[in-house]
Amino acid sequence: MAKAATSPATGDRWVRSACKMCLHGCGIRVRVQDGVIVKIEGDPDNLNNRGKICPKGHTGIMRHYDPNRIKSPVRRTNPNRGPGVDPGWEPISWDEALDIVGKRLKKIRQEDPRKLLVAINDFQRIHLWGWGAAFGTGHYFTTTGQFCGAAYHPINGIIDGSFASVNDYEYCNYWIQMGGGDGFSSHLHVAGSIKRMADARVDRGMKLVAVDPRMASYCAKADEWIPILPGTDRAFILGMVYVILYELNRYDAEFLKKHTNGPYLIAPDGRLFRHPESKKPMVWDGVDNRAKEYDDPTIKDFTLEGYYKVNGTEVRPGFQVIKDTLKDHTPEKMSKVCDVPAETMRRIAREFVEAARIGSTVMIEGKQYPYRPAAINFYRGAIGHCEGTHDHAAIKLMNMLVGNIDVPGGHLGVGLDHRLLLIEPGPDGMLKPQPHILHPMVPFTCPPNTLQMMEFFPIGLDPAHLVAHNILNPDEWGFDFKPEAALIYHANPLKNINGYDKVLEVFKMLDFIVAIDILPNESTEWADVILPDHSYLESYMMTLCEPPVITGHTLRQPVVEPMYDTRDAHDILTEISERCGCLDEFNGLLNFTMFLKPEHHLKPGRKYTVLECLDRMAKSIYGPGQDLKWFMKNNNAVRHIKPGEMYLPWEGMRISLYHEYFLQVADDLEEKFRAAGKEWDTSSYLPVPTWNDNHPLHRLPREYDLYAINFKAEAVLNHHENTTIPWVNELVSNIPIHKGVLINTRTAREKGIKTGDRISIESPFGRVEGIARVIEEIHPRVIGISNAITRWTMHPVERKMNTHFNRLLPASLEFTDRVSGHQETAVKVRISKI
Amino acid sequence: MARYGMVIDLKRCVGCNACTVACKAENGTPPGIFFTKVLEQVAGQYPIVKKKYVPVLCNHCLNAPCVRVCPSGATHKREDGIVLVDYNKCIGCKACVVACPYKNRELMPEGKLKEGHFKGYLTPFEQVKYKKFQEGVVVKCTFCSERVDQGLEPSCVNTCPAEARVFGDLHDPESKVSRLIRQRGGIQPMSEANTDPSVYYIE
Amino acid sequence: MISQTVPMVGEEFVMGYRKQSVWSKWIALAFFFGKVGSGMFILAVLLNTPLIALAGLVIENVGKGGALLIHLGRPARFWRAMTRPQSSWISRTVWVMGIFTVIGLIYLVLPAGSPAWQIFKVLALVSAVVVAITDGFVMNDSPAIPLWNTPMLPFLFLFYSLLGGTSVFFFLVHGGWASITPLVDLETLETALIIINLIGVAIYLGSMVNATATARESLRLLIKGPYSGMFFGFVVAIGFILTLVLTLFLGASGGTLVVGLITLADLIGHFFIFYLLLMVGVYSPVLGKLTI
Repeated sequence: MAKAATSPATGDRWVRSACKMCLHGCGIRVRVQDGVIVKIEGDPDNLNNRGKICPKGHTGIMRHYDPNRIKSPVRRTNPNRGPGVDPGWEPISWDEALDIVGKRLKKIRQEDPRKLLVAINDFQRIHLWGWGAAFGTGHYFTTTGQFCGAAYHPINGIIDGSFASVNDYEYCNYWIQMGGGDGFSSHLHVAGSIKRMADARVDRGMKLVAVDPRMASYCAKADEWIPILPGTDRAFILGMVYVILYELNRYDAEFLKKHTNGPYLIAPDGRLFRHPESKKPMVWDGVDNRAKEYDDPTIKDFTLEGYYKVNGTEVRPGFQVIKDTLKDHTPEKMSKVCDVPAETMRRIAREFVEAARIGSTVMIEGKQYPYRPAAINFYRGAIGHCEGTHDHAAIKLMNMLVGNIDVPGGHLGVGLDHRLLLIEPGPDGMLKPQPHILHPMVPFTCPPNTLQMMEFFPIGLDPAHLVAHNILNPDEWGFDFKPEAALIYHANPLKNINGYDKVLEVFKMLDFIVAIDILPNESTEWADVILPDHSYLESYMMTLCEPPVITGHTLRQPVVEPMYDTRDAHDILTEISERCGCLDEFNGLLNFTMFLKPEHHLKPGRKYTVLECLDRMAKSIYGPGQDLKWFMKNNNAVRHIKPGEMYLPWEGMRISLYHEYFLQVADDLEEKFRAAGKEWDTSSYLPVPTWNDNHPLHRLPREYDLYAINFKAEAVLNHHENTTIPWVNELVSNIPIHKGVLINTRTAREKGIKTGDRISIESPFGRVEGIARVIEEIHPRVIGISNAITRWTMHPVERKMNTHFNRLLPASLEFTDRVSGHQETAVKVRISKI
Repeated sequence: MARYGMVIDLKRCVGCNACTVACKAENGTPPGIFFTKVLEQVAGQYPIVKKKYVPVLCNHCLNAPCVRVCPSGATHKREDGIVLVDYNKCIGCKACVVACPYKNRELMPEGKLKEGHFKGYLTPFEQVKYKKFQEGVVVKCTFCSERVDQGLEPSCVNTCPAEARVFGDLHDPESKVSRLIRQRGGIQPMSEANTDPSVYYIE
Repeated sequence: MISQTVPMVGEEFVMGYRKQSVWSKWIALAFFFGKVGSGMFILAVLLNTPLIALAGLVIENVGKGGALLIHLGRPARFWRAMTRPQSSWISRTVWVMGIFTVIGLIYLVLPAGSPAWQIFKVLALVSAVVVAITDGFVMNDSPAIPLWNTPMLPFLFLFYSLLGGTSVFFFLVHGGWASITPLVDLETLETALIIINLIGVAIYLGSMVNATATARESLRLLIKGPYSGMFFGFVVAIGFILTLVLTLFLGASGGTLVVGLITLADLIGHFFIFYLLLMVGVYSPVLGKLTI
């Protein structure tokens, strides 16, 4: 069809830009008639989403025109703060506001910068996340990585240098999806992915098996929905791994031998068995019947199985260790854990292995690749638990068994940005693990400097849920400072961190809060000063975040002049940095986080505008010919990822099947703790994922008879809820699953609960109330809480249902994955009619 | 002469409601008024449960009961099959609302255009969009006739990420809609009502 | 095959039965005045009471016309309702009302007994009957609502019209506001019409038991659901049982008060039966054959 006819003469124009209603930044074009934004559409010339956008993409108009936006810097006049307390905002000038903030932060910075808590969640300006580091404080007072995946990103990076991962839309024929909305409702580039998934399902007849406690939209569209108990996905997977290893005995031996450390011999202590002199890992040559160094050119066959004795040491290949470790993980046993019938596990495992077509190849652009069109895809629901590393590792293990990692049809790594997968050679012939794609490792110190104790999670992601506990109990780990202020920028820690009661205490303690945002929220309603950011339809940014299949930046640019006396958040932070004395550090940070080449580096002592920075960023990444002006003219540099970048980009290096790396990290960590005279449990750094019968979630007292989960995995809530936008609010008010606490019919009947009843939901960690919504499509032992019913902000559009799920969750080390730092995102509860 | 129609692929639809919101944005309908939406249907008992998403909109029926019952001639059918309401002629008798077997028509009640999505405040967007509406008349999906007249697809089709909605000429045997209906067996909603809808569903 | 129960839904985005809500009290009132007015007119013409015939005309025009005007979203444009008599039953009712009014007025002004009067008497009767019936067609013309979409409705409208007219007459005569030829036994006529209407309603609703699931849903709302109280109270107890008991056991001999009570009870039942039939109008689920 033809493109829109617009007439510049009558003030009717389309402006190309990038969406910011979630983190991923689809290409959009915005129609402006006589200065009024009247429509947002997908940009048909952006390869990423090809003219399509999701429901939230459209709602940007209503966010932009929200009369509740902060129209100029404001200062609170009401000294009382609390939920639902009107701050009595009073407009002040930018100079006055910045001076108040600058003066206060400067004093803190001079005394002890660690007294400032930082909560930055602006997902499209990831380059600003590290502002705290420039200031001198490392706290992460918001669950940035937690509800998406502390157990997700680092483990992806460790396996294949990726940040995220998703199955191959183009070639996969048998797609198992667990606890995630890829291709339907959430996660990587929703609009583009929905199309790719629909093509695969409908045009190619791909089979989809969905595993989730609740029939999410992807389950409704699946060929088969397998309901499962929360936090037991690993048991389901390991039951199938058992079937593959012990019953079907079919796996991609060639892949494992060639591309993984599966053949590396393992000593009885679990560590690599190394050559006594060269210290190189050894493997067993099954033809010559002797151990050789892994890179010995004379190796005829890399043996995966068996028990050998080398120089008096009992050794076995890593693969054999995995097999032995899992020998009791029978489907029958795992079925008791996850409530999926053993026969279902057997059938799915068989279908999966058959569909993987082990041994087949495919030619793509003149190169032959293995062809493994079966893969398991997953997201937070499956691995967002206090043993998330193992949940993730188990799924990756099952994928690896059929040799589908980064091959056509299989499970593909996805980069954070234009760097795609970070491919560097590591030691021992392995690919270098990349757990720190989001920010550099925080070196060990004890006591730690960061309240989330990032120092103790060398391969994890900021467990922000520990911050409040550590502030309230500083002596446990020897924190010798007390936070007194917070900077909250596009974040909502009071809402998004587990353990509301503790976070509330912290908010009461803080005596200065500065916020940067476009609208007040539950947290920034506590602020002393709010500095208003431009809306995304008024500001610039080079956007690119976790794109499957495609890569390249799209320029977000102003569609209209700013409506109010607002500034770009980047510029606001520059001003604050200057006033509190960390401008040089901030510039240094940006050099790193905006990928600036030395010739484009920001120099100390000078303030740079966001436009100058973006121009340097564009030139650094794309060369001098593709500066900001080029992007203003051409909008985007989006292109397909080439097969060679996507498929086996690490060929020649081995990826980790047997995670000896975890043991290395654990040893190192133990040593440091010993030196510090403290103890730290490293028992969960395991080279092979197993089911743990003492899983903290499942050991909660029996009187909490139901599991509770929450979900944002429906397109209208994707990434963050935005229920203060009228169009979103209208939708969630009309869609049953967003109208109350979801309870299965059978369970509701047993408990005498009907739709519309007010119910109490109590976990060992907190209690909330809600309206019951009785449905059929949820596991009878599970209740589901949509993100759409969790808020209580004063915003007049919000329904204020306040069934605040996070309040039910634990927020302690006991319920934290010691490897990744992931918090537990499910819990057990008891419910009753009020 | 063309007869415009739509094919909705229920296999492709993921129930995301992008169409619902794209429609609100294009048409600027006030709070609570939707020209299209995605209905869901759940059947069965746990664990044997099916859930289906079915987008609905005005079917622009060939034999449209709303056109027949309209006493003022406000509801009319264009030559290309698009059924429209002339807001200047509609007297608000609502006979069409009770005649439409699909319940795809709604009254724009008194005061609706002053309400605003932000309760008592009209955004610049709403101020522009409400100009074309009137209170006291019946409104419904127009197949985005203004867009269609410019050679564009309806807004819901334009946005659908799953490409579940296809728009085109039912009279052209080579159009994508005709081919989909032929090849995948298009079903008209509630065909027993003998309205001959221009919207077809394929599964 | 998966078992399925279709829910009754409101505005939620869920497939199910939906209740119509746009035709309610004002349309019910219009139907009420339409039938009572035409019924009075018919009886008045037959019984030669021109003043009551005029009252019927006035009720028809002011009562029904006024209620319809209030019902309209755009009352100032009411005249446009006349532009589509070729297809729209609403258009036709407006025309029929107009014609009836003109013929009725001519009949009333013509000298009684003249040949023209004789002709217009017949014409007036016919047009009054048509007026009573057309409202039934207005309701019956909605294919969306199976409860209404039955040819029984026009008959029901006619008999209710006659009953309404008779009731009012019964009262007026006993109150001494009208005198008629004593040959006509209004009490028997009233009883007969109540019984006929009772049978009519019973057959009509009975026919819904075996009709489509949607019609059954309407019936359920009426006799078991939220409207059952009003139905059994106003329509059955007051409209039928009370009127019948009073007419059979006391009737005219009970005096004006009893007759007034009979008339009032009948009119209450009369209004509520059609009000409730409107309120329990249910659309079929939109999917038709697309249901799971």
